[in-house]
Amino acid sequence: MKTLVTFTITLILFLLAIVGYSNSSLKANFTTGNPKIMSINSMTFGPEGILFIGDSKSAQIVAVDLSSHPKVDNSKVKIDLLDKLIADMLGSTIDQIQITDMVVNPENNNIYLSVHHGSGTALLFRVDNNALKPVSLDNISHSKTTLLDPIAKDAKDKRGRELRKWAVADMKYTSNTIMVSGLSNKEFGSTFRSIDFPFTKEQNYGSLEIYHAAHGQYETHAPIKTFIPTKIKGNSHIIAGYTCTPLVIFSKDQIKPGVHNKGRTVAELGSGNSPVDMIEVENEGKRYLLIANTNRPLMKMDFSDLEAYEDSLTTPVTKKGAAVGVDYVNLPFVNVQQLDKYGSSGFLIVQRESNGNLALKQGNTWWIKK
Amino acid sequence: MHNKGKGIVCITFISFYFILGMFSQTTPKFTFNKTHLTIKDEFNLSNNLKVYRGQIPQEELDPMHPILGTIQIDKAELRFTPLVPFGWNQEYTLIYKNTIEYFILEIPEVYDYLKVKAIYPSAKSLPSNLLKWYVQFSHPINEVHVYDYIRFINSQGDTLSRTILSLENALVSEDGKLLTVWIEPGRQKRDLIPNKQLGPVFEKDAMYQLIVQKDIKDRQGVSMQKDFTHSFQITNADRIQPNISSFKILPPEHNNNLVIYFEEPMDYGSTINNFKIINSEKKEIHGEWQLTNNESTLIFTPKYSWKKGVYQVLIDSSLEDLAGNNLNRLFDSEVSISDIQQLLIEYKLEFIIH
Repeated sequence: MKTLVTFTITLILFLLAIVGYSNSSLKANFTTGNPKIMSINSMTFGPEGILFIGDSKSAQIVAVDLSSHPKVDNSKVKIDLLDKLIADMLGSTIDQIQITDMVVNPENNNIYLSVHHGSGTALLFRVDNNALKPVSLDNISHSKTTLLDPIAKDAKDKRGRELRKWAVADMKYTSNTIMVSGLSNKEFGSTFRSIDFPFTKEQNYGSLEIYHAAHGQYETHAPIKTFIPTKIKGNSHIIAGYTCTPLVIFSKDQIKPGVHNKGRTVAELGSGNSPVDMIEVENEGKRYLLIANTNRPLMKMDFSDLEAYEDSLTTPVTKKGAAVGVDYVNLPFVNVQQLDKYGSSGFLIVQRESNGNLALKQGNTWWIKK
Repeated sequence: MHNKGKGIVCITFISFYFILGMFSQTTPKFTFNKTHLTIKDEFNLSNNLKVYRGQIPQEELDPMHPILGTIQIDKAELRFTPLVPFGWNQEYTLIYKNTIEYFILEIPEVYDYLKVKAIYPSAKSLPSNLLKWYVQFSHPINEVHVYDYIRFINSQGDTLSRTILSLENALVSEDGKLLTVWIEPGRQKRDLIPNKQLGPVFEKDAMYQLIVQKDIKDRQGVSMQKDFTHSFQITNADRIQPNISSFKILPPEHNNNLVIYFEEPMDYGSTINNFKIINSEKKEIHGEWQLTNNESTLIFTPKYSWKKGVYQVLIDSSLEDLAGNNLNRLFDSEVSISDIQQLLIEYKLEFIIH
């Protein structure tokens, strides 16, 4: 019996060591120092408290290790007058402040906000007991990779560097890969990239050509505003929301560098609108897609409807402002500027309420039901 | 009496300065500039300092949030550096030990205000499916909600709605001075829903003005002094791809410049950097590129004089005209898989120097 206990403990320790080793391998090439982050356009969490920061100004993706941040209880988070609070803390005015992203660490529900100040300063805050704590990025364990084209690294494109900018629109991590969508300031088009993580010097780095069909003879090589990697009928897919409203599904296996991919348009979210953020939440065994919008309320789409819809929208929408395709429900949250998943079934929003108050708050899980 | 009065005034002044002198030895001295404030306190220098936004009475300070920054103490001097620089014309309150002070940094009398230096396309006549503008500023701009300050008005003075692709992250060049403004592609691209329902942004033959509102700010938070306006008229949509066979090259003759003439005005951003010249040994000829004549003429001035030989102008296929049509495809066209495989990345033109 004693031998069995010893064996079991040894086995557990061995397994923990393996887990520890495999986990730390993601941070094996991290170094402590200043990653020189000049802008925070988009953020997403990977495993082990690794936050990925899309920094357009420095044309880089930076992975920073935030695992040492203490877990705080954000279950009752509510910060009113968020923009005024940030302006006060920076000694500035509200019109000099822009919240560029909000993310929740899925491992401990810690909340982070990125802020751009008009002076050109990028800041990161952590929510702690309904207050904001600045997170210094000057001396932090990190790893990073460039967003410049491999071709741009040689002399060929040096001439264009002072003009060329590539703004990160959205970024997601899945299975050792970071996917990034963005828009260039020079040429029009969807720029969608897949970058392996951990970052290596010989970056496996694909620029992906993905299109969605319009409703007549023309198809669009347009910028993707927000997207999520997900499973559709058990297979890996990407659901992408375009600036000009269509919701499009791509099979992940078919997206490869140099291959032209046409996605399947499954819904139109109404003209005069643009998606802002998109998340997948699960409650009572059912999956839902939540989409925040510029000019429409928060939308809830049932994944079972999404999976059942096998068509691609091909006929024009004739009714002005109408939304077609997969059904969705408008939730009573308008002007949602930031959206992220909180826990397995909750969601967190930054919302400009009808009285003008900019609030950081939980969305009620009650809405994430059939 | 007169002399006596003078004497009293004099004594009063001396006493005042004596007392002030005594007092100044114990009262901390505050100085402020854009990046930090310093406190000189010969006695009991303390890091018990808080700075607040606005002019706030002491009794109302309690619920307020102090400004984030770092405190450094060196001998008899304390330096507070705010996380972001202090703003011009912004009031502040500081509490140091038991002293409350208010300060404001006024905009210097001689201030180099933000201006619009150039706008592209600069031509007064533009295609109805025009895709983007570039605004060249004199200084790096403040990027917070920057697109809110750009608008278009028609000849009746009405502001057009839903004209610009309002991006959360502004598209600004590395030096911070060139702003890219996308006309909403969904309306400019045929058959997309916004195009079907709202139509293109600009109507043929109509006159418009692009306005950069004076409220747009520089990185110091200071606005322009007046609106910038640029008038233009709309002509037919441009649905013809730029074609290198229509480009005319004037090899350098009397002066050192190589000149390339286009048939139409080209997009500023994608033209200025998409050309490269190589010699017969495939070595790049370095020099300056300049886009002139309403962006329809490209001039290259080499760093060193030309040598005899055969040269090639390499043109990236992403070169666009004003409607976003590039060397490979129209902005809104059907693109098939076979097309993608056949597309060229780079186009070539040749010229000889005798």
